[in-house]
Amino acid sequence: MFRSILRQTRALNGFTNGSRSLATAAASKPAPRLKTFKIYRWNPDTPEVEPKMQSYDIDLNECGPMVLDAILKIKNEQDATLTFRRSCREGICGSCAMNIGGRNTLACLCRIETDTSKETKIYPLPHMFVVRDLVPDLTHFYKQYKSIQPYLQRDTHPADGRENLQSIEDRAKLDGLYECILCACCSTSCPSYWWNQQEYLGPAVLMQAYRWLIDSRDQASGIRKEMLQNSMSLYRCHTIMNCARTCPKGLNPGRAIAEIKKQLAFD
Amino acid sequence: MARLSGMQREVLKLYRGCIRIIRTKPIENQEHWRQFVREEFRKNQHISKKQFNVIEHLIRVGHKRFEQYSSPQIKDIH
Amino acid sequence: MISLVTRPTLTGASRSGAALLIRGIKTIPQPPGYIVGTVNDAYVPPKPHKAEGSYHWTSERIAAFALAPLTLAPLVGGTSTILDSTLSTILLYHCYTGFQSCITDYIPKRVYGSYHNYANYLLIFGTGVAGYGLYKIETSEDGGVTGIIKKTWNA
Repeated sequence: MFRSILRQTRALNGFTNGSRSLATAAASKPAPRLKTFKIYRWNPDTPEVEPKMQSYDIDLNECGPMVLDAILKIKNEQDATLTFRRSCREGICGSCAMNIGGRNTLACLCRIETDTSKETKIYPLPHMFVVRDLVPDLTHFYKQYKSIQPYLQRDTHPADGRENLQSIEDRAKLDGLYECILCACCSTSCPSYWWNQQEYLGPAVLMQAYRWLIDSRDQASGIRKEMLQNSMSLYRCHTIMNCARTCPKGLNPGRAIAEIKKQLAFD
Repeated sequence: MARLSGMQREVLKLYRGCIRIIRTKPIENQEHWRQFVREEFRKNQHISKKQFNVIEHLIRVGHKRFEQYSSPQIKDIH
Repeated sequence: MISLVTRPTLTGASRSGAALLIRGIKTIPQPPGYIVGTVNDAYVPPKPHKAEGSYHWTSERIAAFALAPLTLAPLVGGTSTILDSTLSTILLYHCYTGFQSCITDYIPKRVYGSYHNYANYLLIFGTGVAGYGLYKIETSEDGGVTGIIKKTWNA
């Protein structure tokens, strides 16, 4: 009840010089709050056509609060050719990572800015090869992830043949690391990764490298450290900290990389 | 023959690789594959030499498809 | 010293020298999509090399941390030749590693091949010149580098 009154007053404010009378506007529907989204479009089927920014208007009253809702609405109602990755719509799958308003984030965790006078620009993740529209090619990123051997490696097995136990303190060390969903937001926001992404592993992958380094159950830290002992893989990190700034899950890959450097220094 | 640019050589390398891999396919289907490869390359022949990023993209896609199709499980193509 | 092969272009006359110079530098073509091997292979990192890895980083940090007290020391105490020479050596090393980092970042061997080495040689040459300059300051200026710091502080 209260909310509907609020919405009506807002509608009244929005409709000052419209042709419709104020009374009907208040009685029927609230005035549309049209927000412009500018989305990067590029079609691989016609590669010779330059990429362009396409505008879509969305009525925020009929749209969910998140950017992903808006993009889905565009795809459903306006342009079915718009391509993007999405899956869980709650920030746990990491599919919908994109550059929204100049910031790498997950579309499903990013609120639509309600200021309708400003347009929101949506790009794919920067400095990645684009497959189509908002879909970047993450092959190299996954190859890098594979190279750090992101799985438990042990020579010995527990005597009782059951699980490898870990103390509560040791488990606590993994907090803030294991939550990473590999959305590649941090890596693609890192200038070092932009310039040297072929050889520099990037914050996301390095944070996972650290996650396996400090795991008390893992016994392969020797090989793991050895792999990072060169000028490119790890040491291209210049603590720019864009990674921690952009992470949609609020993690801090910069700190993890610093910890790896510390471990290697005393190795 | 004029000296080829790096990208032209890349394209030729990919084409040569595609033609070579045909020999690993069953002999009765090799003609299909040859046709397919030629058609795919001809499709983009009109692209101007100066459109670097387009050609680079096509080379990238080409390599991916090459890898996919070179799997021995894929025997024929139409 | 560095011979650059410039490609003759039709618009070459109208282009500035710098642009021509940059165009003339041949870069190594990168694998398509940066993918080496098949898409399912893991990425292969460069060979482990401690001197380029942790030792390099540690020495960089030690130099950087050592600089702070060494710069402040002449303000508190007096100047001395030993203090002065350690400060100038570490300063030189600090600058050297800093520029070296820039070179590995922006002129990587992967893309520029031998230009990476040329840049490093140029850096070593530059460091040599700077070292000679520091030596000159040490011998001719009153109080050397620490003396200069003291003067600027007082001024």
